[in-house]
Amino acid sequence: MFSKILIANRGEIALRILRACRTLGVGAVVAYSEADRESLAAQLADEAICIGPADARRSYLSAPSVISAAIVTGCDAIHPGYGFLSEDEAFADVVRAHGLTFIGPPAEVLERFASKEATRRLLGSHGLATIPGSGMLRDEAHALEEAERVGYPVIIKPSAGGGGKGMRLVRTARELEDTFKVARSEAKAAFGDDALYLEKFIDDNRHVEVQVAVDRFGHAVHMGERDCSVQRRHQKIIEETPSPALSDAAREDLCQRAVRAVVAAGYENLGTLEFLVDSKGDAYFIEINCRIQVEHPITELCTGIDMVALQIKIAAGEPLGLSQSDVVSRGHAIEFRILAEDPTKDFRPGSGQVSAYLAPGGVGVRMDSHLYPGYEVPSYYDSLLGKLCVWGPDRATAIARGETALRELLVDGVTTNIELHRAILANKVFVDGRVTTNLLDRVGTAPFVAAASR
Amino acid sequence: MPDDPRAATRDISPDDDPARSRRDHQAISQLADDLLPALIAKLASSGLGEIEVREGGWRARLRKPAAADVARRGVARGTGEGHPASGHSAGRAQPTSRSARAGEAAAEQEASPISATSPAVGIYHPRRDLSEGMRVRTGEKIGTVDVLGVNQDVLVPVDGVIGTSLAEAGEAVEYGQDLVRIELTERSPAPATEPVGELEAAVARGNA
Repeated sequence: MFSKILIANRGEIALRILRACRTLGVGAVVAYSEADRESLAAQLADEAICIGPADARRSYLSAPSVISAAIVTGCDAIHPGYGFLSEDEAFADVVRAHGLTFIGPPAEVLERFASKEATRRLLGSHGLATIPGSGMLRDEAHALEEAERVGYPVIIKPSAGGGGKGMRLVRTARELEDTFKVARSEAKAAFGDDALYLEKFIDDNRHVEVQVAVDRFGHAVHMGERDCSVQRRHQKIIEETPSPALSDAAREDLCQRAVRAVVAAGYENLGTLEFLVDSKGDAYFIEINCRIQVEHPITELCTGIDMVALQIKIAAGEPLGLSQSDVVSRGHAIEFRILAEDPTKDFRPGSGQVSAYLAPGGVGVRMDSHLYPGYEVPSYYDSLLGKLCVWGPDRATAIARGETALRELLVDGVTTNIELHRAILANKVFVDGRVTTNLLDRVGTAPFVAAASR
Repeated sequence: MPDDPRAATRDISPDDDPARSRRDHQAISQLADDLLPALIAKLASSGLGEIEVREGGWRARLRKPAAADVARRGVARGTGEGHPASGHSAGRAQPTSRSARAGEAAAEQEASPISATSPAVGIYHPRRDLSEGMRVRTGEKIGTVDVLGVNQDVLVPVDGVIGTSLAEAGEAVEYGQDLVRIELTERSPAPATEPVGELEAAVARGNA
């Protein structure tokens, strides 16, 4: 096991990793930017170090600053959290070159799974169904040819992208002609890589993802799936497990195939395989996320496994210590992403000082948040203020606890989407478990917002 | 923090259309956060009297009106990369109120000593000949911070003399940490007249 871990992230996940380190009895150093000097993780940590200015490119995204901080504080491992450097294979490689361990998949594994298009082919060859799509698009003519072959509508995606950024839905050849060059330059600007591919667009789909853990010795388990269909512009808002879209048999089959495929492909550490599930219940593999995910707590609530601790153990070279029969998923869990966004003003992200904060409590309620009264929400980073997670023995109970907890949760001083969550929970489509990824964008959030503001 | 420039510019831009003025305020605060620190640093290390940058429909102009200003800039740099609006001091040992507005921050900083700060997280190596009482000029290199074998310069933020060393040679230092106190000499302009906020950081709406 490591002696001391540098936590190279911020917000709630820095706190989450700090807690895992303490539980494991491992030392931890929180690396923070100037804008996060007063952050809860930096305050609670036994040791914290300022790695750069607010601009993430010179702090959380600066490999030399992060590695230098780890070295000067005597750390032997770096936990990148999610986002920032978490899936950067070059960073993982440099970390190793400095005699430190990157907590995540080894650099060569990250590299193998870096390209979404290559990953789809790789895991496709190991038994996962994939959405009909193209290879890398050479030019516009090639794009038109491929779109014709898989059939419109198609979605154009940057190979290096993530989080829904830079994707474009195209319904006709003319639209494709209009869009292609723009999409390419956008991808170049956003990701430094203009490689694009396209795939058939499946309307009314659900987003279901399978959580896996694989140790260095090829032992692997899945920890069930999560349904992340409540999205707005490809950004997840609410996640739940198990997915209301799958039967027990379909779930078991999907999870088994996912874990077999990643082991065969040589994956290591925690990973999440994302699938689109169509209206018939068929699941198509889309991509793998080689990191701890924002929504991991709902899997923890149902399985009782500390996933961050497990991730650290795997990175330290320890065996998984779990077989599939040890992983028992009980009940139902839901996560609400509490964001500093104003649903009545086109979800404009906000910042400012939290004047009052009260986390909800009660049976099956967990709040992962870095907020405290007086905390200044910086405007430099994402708008995630925390994650309210609830568990119940069944879905109806989880929803009822969610409603109770959302009503209790108090965040003053910063505009949040709490009321939007309450409106979604009260909506029949959600209660019936029929939400598809396009719902909020198709009907618009206006009805929800109207319901929320009463 | 972004509050300051927003507050400062509220008088400048007409608040007739709320959506537009909101956008304007956002743009200004982003400009202040992203651009101003870099510009101030640039102005400090150059012999220039004025720098103007245009971005989109916006224009930011920094002017060095008088010698008095040099001391002000030194104060700002001493508190972490010349982030005039950030209002927090460098170095963990010296926490200041993070919600301080520009005026308060300026008042606070004038009272607090000036230091050369660490440009990065790494190992600090002061210049060999560095000694207390030595006269130094703005922008002078008085040491380096080794970041994975790459040296980054520790620069003097203001004309003055070397004071107390706050970090040892070979010590691990963090970004923004105070390394060496810089005492103002009699020849340095007395820091009394104008607050930092008046460092002619005129963010004006440009139609030209």
